[in-house]
Amino acid sequence: MKPAPFEYVAPESEAEVLELLHRHGDDARLLAGGQSLVPMLNLRIVQPAVIVDLGRCAPLAYLNQENGALVCGTMTRQIMAENSPEVRQGCPLLAAALPYLGGKAHRNRGTVGGTLAHADRLAELPAVALALEAEIIVRSAGAERTVAAADFFLADLTTALQEGEMLHAVRFPKATTNERSAFAEVGNRRHGFAVVGVAAVLEVGNDGACTKARLAAMGVGATPVRLMEAEQILEQGSLGEDAVRAAGDAAVRAVDPTDDIHASAAYRRRLTATLVQRSVQEAVGSGGSDGTGRAMA
Amino acid sequence: MSSGTVEVRLTVNGVEYARSVEPRYLLVDFLRHELGLTGTHVGCEQGVCGACTVLLDGVTARSCLHFAVQVSGAEITTIEGVTADDTLSPIQEAFHSNHALQCGYCTPGFVLTTVELLRENSAPDESEIRQGLTNNICRCTGYVNIIKAVAEAAGNMKNGAG
Amino acid sequence: MAVQDRPDESSWKIVGQSVPRREDAWLLTGKGCYVDDVPEPPNTLHLGFVLSPEAHARIVSIDVAEAKALPGVFDVLTGEDVAALAQPIRTGFLLEGHRDTSRDAVARDKVRFVGEAVAVVVAENPYVAEDGVERVHITYDPLPAAVDLESAARDDAPVVHEELGTNILLESTFATEGLDEAFAGATHVIKETFRTGRIAGVPMEPRGCLATTDRAGEELTVWTSTQIPNIVKTALGKLLGHPESNIRVITPDVGGGFGTKAHFYPEELVCPALALKYGRPVEWIQDRREELLTNIHAREHIYTVEAGIDADGVIVAMHCNMMANSGAYSSYPFGATLEPVGGVRFVLGPYHIRNYGYETRAVASHTCPAGAYRGTAQPTAMLAIEGMMDRIARKVGIDPAEARRRNLIQPDQLPYTTAVGMFYSTGSYTESLARAMEMIGYEDYRASQPADRLVDGKYRGIGICCYTENSGMGVAAIRARGWSTLPGFDGALVRVATDGKVKAYISHAASGQGHYTSFAQIVADQVGVPFEDVSIVVGDTGQTPAGTNTFASRGTVTGGGAAIRACLVVADKMKRIAAQVLEVSADDIVLEDGKAVVQGVPDMKLSVREIAEVAYSMSSHDLPEGEDYGLEATDHYDAGMPTIANAVHIAAVAVDAADGTVEVERYVVVHDCGRIINPMIVDGQVHGGAVQALGEVLMEELVYDEAGQLQNATLLEYLLPTALDIPMIEVEHIESVTDENPGGFKGLGEGGVIGGVPALTNAIADALAGIGANVNSNPLRPSHLSGLIAASKRFS
Repeated sequence: MKPAPFEYVAPESEAEVLELLHRHGDDARLLAGGQSLVPMLNLRIVQPAVIVDLGRCAPLAYLNQENGALVCGTMTRQIMAENSPEVRQGCPLLAAALPYLGGKAHRNRGTVGGTLAHADRLAELPAVALALEAEIIVRSAGAERTVAAADFFLADLTTALQEGEMLHAVRFPKATTNERSAFAEVGNRRHGFAVVGVAAVLEVGNDGACTKARLAAMGVGATPVRLMEAEQILEQGSLGEDAVRAAGDAAVRAVDPTDDIHASAAYRRRLTATLVQRSVQEAVGSGGSDGTGRAMA
Repeated sequence: MSSGTVEVRLTVNGVEYARSVEPRYLLVDFLRHELGLTGTHVGCEQGVCGACTVLLDGVTARSCLHFAVQVSGAEITTIEGVTADDTLSPIQEAFHSNHALQCGYCTPGFVLTTVELLRENSAPDESEIRQGLTNNICRCTGYVNIIKAVAEAAGNMKNGAG
Repeated sequence: MAVQDRPDESSWKIVGQSVPRREDAWLLTGKGCYVDDVPEPPNTLHLGFVLSPEAHARIVSIDVAEAKALPGVFDVLTGEDVAALAQPIRTGFLLEGHRDTSRDAVARDKVRFVGEAVAVVVAENPYVAEDGVERVHITYDPLPAAVDLESAARDDAPVVHEELGTNILLESTFATEGLDEAFAGATHVIKETFRTGRIAGVPMEPRGCLATTDRAGEELTVWTSTQIPNIVKTALGKLLGHPESNIRVITPDVGGGFGTKAHFYPEELVCPALALKYGRPVEWIQDRREELLTNIHAREHIYTVEAGIDADGVIVAMHCNMMANSGAYSSYPFGATLEPVGGVRFVLGPYHIRNYGYETRAVASHTCPAGAYRGTAQPTAMLAIEGMMDRIARKVGIDPAEARRRNLIQPDQLPYTTAVGMFYSTGSYTESLARAMEMIGYEDYRASQPADRLVDGKYRGIGICCYTENSGMGVAAIRARGWSTLPGFDGALVRVATDGKVKAYISHAASGQGHYTSFAQIVADQVGVPFEDVSIVVGDTGQTPAGTNTFASRGTVTGGGAAIRACLVVADKMKRIAAQVLEVSADDIVLEDGKAVVQGVPDMKLSVREIAEVAYSMSSHDLPEGEDYGLEATDHYDAGMPTIANAVHIAAVAVDAADGTVEVERYVVVHDCGRIINPMIVDGQVHGGAVQALGEVLMEELVYDEAGQLQNATLLEYLLPTALDIPMIEVEHIESVTDENPGGFKGLGEGGVIGGVPALTNAIADALAGIGANVNSNPLRPSHLSGLIAASKRFS
């Protein structure tokens, strides 16, 4: 499987990237880490006339602290984010989810921005972005806008990016001291694509009561889904067994998965409930923002 | 060659090369067919199997998912560069004594994954070894002996036996 | 000349040791040479095949103009063009009830499965070849497709081969006398249907070939990633109309085969055909998508088994109805008969079952052809019989191990001939079960196992597989199966050179199983030279004698047998030469460690090199009177009917009650393959096979939709086990040496998967026994197991 021919450009400035996108529109594809795009190119599923390689554009790879947020430039390699003390401290959910994105070779080269812009319905970071209520900073030639994660993922492999736009960075709100988080996923194999995954972010007071809950599920539809009814149950305060179970049951009502060759819709519903319980229990038990702990079975 | 060629410069196993190739020419094909370094293998061209794994600026990467031009200027280590001469490295020696290869097609990828794994964690426990080995798929060995080989290599290297 | 039939027991010294492998030297360092590593001669052309996107359709038109006009494309051929160069592929089976199919190398008129080649692009490099493939425009007239096994078997199903008028490619029945009466006399009759999903072998290296001719266009050399170079050579000669003596087939290093590469494929015919046509080297390297779409599939089986038992759970009568999905064509050389005949005949396993009958059918469908993948039908046959054993145990209220003990062939019943006529010479059925149970602590496990099986949120269970493995087929076995294109024997040429080093050329082909080491161990012992002084050549029809090559666990038996016999002839001659030089009787000579030594007189010795020098007339000593020059022998060995190996696998699993995922917590094997050449290599084969079984039971399945489109033709969606999925498999050995072949060997390559499929399935079934789930299919994905668990809760 070899790709179809293309023209190749590797600009060193973002302005150049945006000018190329403006000029070529949908005839161009951006090459970030390539871990998702190049398989599609090799299979000839996509055949862009122009590949704009972001790999030489150093300004696009950064990890900055802003007021209460961690801003991650699009070309930040997944492994850099995973190993970064700033991410582990400031955005533990992100650090917890990153090991699930693939094998080491994938995470060495894959990028945070790339997986978000690719928006595979089985990708982990879109669910993380949703649960964290992150913001996507979008740039085009001469313009910039911010899109809430909730508005960014439209369908499988489809985002709110318009022709000529690129994902410049993602802004993750920094974890508060009361924040507890966890990521849990289950697949048909211990390593590989998830069937369902859940990202859970809670704020738990010193009295053990939950004051805020954000839950996002992936693999249950064309995009990741916020589990708002489940969140509301937990925000009533109790994180005991009954409340967590009720949250799991509520989560099932929020999702509308389908059958496919990997799993049934009924299983996906059951798994949603199970993973809500697991991720919430792990988050509660995680005792703070150190960003470790794999919730895998 | 409908889209012209581009200049690619790569340092592979310490040797500098310069070639002109199509932009779409995959790194794995560049290594194998331009440079004749056929130890890196093509298993899927989807990035799943790991048979094409090389070290790219020191870290494991799928050479089937990179274009040669994309990594121009980088330093690559392939299986041919794991030992400078004809002796086996401690990792290769451990694979040999533990029968951690059968058909050998996946083996170069596993060796390079192990190089990175042990460099980043010199004393991995079994679960860390297994996790690290998810970087590669083997169909012949069932992994049992590969896990043993990596553990033994870690022990030998820690004791300075290599 | 009289040569002893079998070596003295005392000659086995290096055989039996875990000698580290010689082939590692090149495989570990990147110096392996697989087919795509063979240096391309100048002017090599590259092929790209246009694959049918339809499962069943008439080809209406093929427009190659745009492809041909593309710079870098040399030629484009249709099925008609290729038919002028090569005959269609037919298996030519000689088997009652078999209907043969005819397969064009490149389809004409009709396509019969998604992935069938419809045109071939010839280009300067593989990238341009694919560009050309995209520019071939074909219109199809789609026809209804028969896809899944049961649908394709119906009388009203769309017919794959019009000229046959049916999709039933084989029907065969058998019954012992008085079967009905035996059933009538049973206390209980237990019935179950077992269904296994279609899977693929997925060796890490896809296929490929490179064909070259000499200047005159007469000598054809073909490098191909195959397990059967001699079979390929004969097929090429016949189908190309080219003298077979002018064809040389070489297997370079092969990156796994597992039986999938023990078939002759259309691309292996097209590639040399075009090399002859153009007078240029022609290469084709398969990619993974093509590999999953077109390399033989396997194991889409349905077994319906009825067992009549007495009050103690002893089987008094058994019946098996089997169906196998053969795909669109009867694959060459094993065809559509391999799985359905094997399944119903192997299902008796190591059990004493005298009253038995079967019906079996091979069913054609508009899917990729099926063929031999490790174990062939034995994993599913053992799944069936071992599944019945557990059901028998439940019915009678005894432990599954006890049910097996009551039915196993006992040591004093060996040698044993089964109800279908298979001969078991030696074996360790009861001993291996006892030892495996000890290894895993079976009694303690059962004693502490709760009735509901639930421990710490997981359902835990233990499962056994006692199996027999068909190995070492020779001429009689192959004739009995009707495989007219397989000779059945193998050959070895053993040659000592003037320097005293030994080279053995054996008619097998390596794909990872360690031929360069294990055959060298045999030769070293039988010629009496150090291991380091022996080298092996396999996989080259230009160098080795004729033979049947490597599949169905026959390498050790047939290659080992031929090598031993040739070695014994050479050794005898060496002794005669040494005897003359040392002026003693040949009976007093022992060959060891590279020397001929007079027994009891250590100072009287002659090195192998000195003996060779005499043989090659490079010495002051003359050859003994009547001896011929040279020091070599060729022998062909016919292993006759199969020799039967056996083993027991026991697995302990935990099924997560909440998400249905399975962890294999322990896995033990007691393995008996007769005399072991290299224990480390044997263990490696067991590990690899058992993990393929794990894949087959937990996660692997090729899924076609109703239209015959393969839904998961990438490794992203056809899941293979990783290092996180596997147990640390523990293996012990028993050696039930047989006198059926000179080495006392039995084959072993497939045992891991034969034992793993039933052991793991039974363990999962046992884990869910407390909730009353019926586990009778593969694969058992988390979704399926979770569904069983959820269903049980609805009714509890």
